[in-house]
Amino acid sequence: MGLLQRAIEAGGIPTIGITLQKAVTEAVKPPRTLSLRYPFGHPLGEALHVRQQRTILLEALRALETIREPGTILEPGYVWRRHRFD
Amino acid sequence: MKGPRWLNDLTNSVLVQLFKHLPWLAERWAKGHRFVEGKGIPWAPLGKPLRESCIAMVTTAGVHLKSQPPFDMEDPNGDPSFRAFPSDVHAADLTITHKYYDHSAADRDINVVLPIDRLRELRDEGIIGGIAPTLYSFMGHIDGPHLKTLIGETAPEVARHLVQERADAAFLTPA
Repeated sequence: MGLLQRAIEAGGIPTIGITLQKAVTEAVKPPRTLSLRYPFGHPLGEALHVRQQRTILLEALRALETIREPGTILEPGYVWRRHRFD
Repeated sequence: MKGPRWLNDLTNSVLVQLFKHLPWLAERWAKGHRFVEGKGIPWAPLGKPLRESCIAMVTTAGVHLKSQPPFDMEDPNGDPSFRAFPSDVHAADLTITHKYYDHSAADRDINVVLPIDRLRELRDEGIIGGIAPTLYSFMGHIDGPHLKTLIGETAPEVARHLVQERADAAFLTPA
């Protein structure tokens, strides 16, 4: 997905991506990333968990404003099914 | 790996479950796999505050309208094409074609991979300025000759659409 993200950014659109595979993202180097140690298929967390989904989306979007260094990978450190989103 | 189709499908579904439940296994796989290394990092700064920005969404989770042709699951190098659909889509009109990850959670709630409802809430609350008119969807797991198509053709095409549609930024989700 990082390659797609790089191509979109190169086309002039600022991008933020979620990764569930930090090692891959470190190699591909997209401009801005939010990294989560969540299982595949769950970039926004669990089904029907509105607060969790909202927190992750908002965190990603805010990073569009806050990340200044190309290649930054943010790690909020949410533990799968343990972190309390309230 | 060439073998009977049923065996390949079975092997694949076992791997999908292993990778889902044992993230360290996926990390080991990633360490042993060569990826296209990024040289330099493209950079387009956000031109206005988030509350005034029109946000686009792009996913590689294999989402598409039920009425659209599914992604090609037979080609071991994946499918570099994309599907576009309106961002005011009803979740009930969407489906997922992707056999390389367990999408049972996303089948129940599309927001797990493509948070359309959450993005609408942020727009309604004025946290973002708007939502770009079109959502773009790829399938991940693209390899071999299709990487060139993705990087040289289909990804730049989506970028051009996003510019034409006056998106100020794009949020991307994997599977």
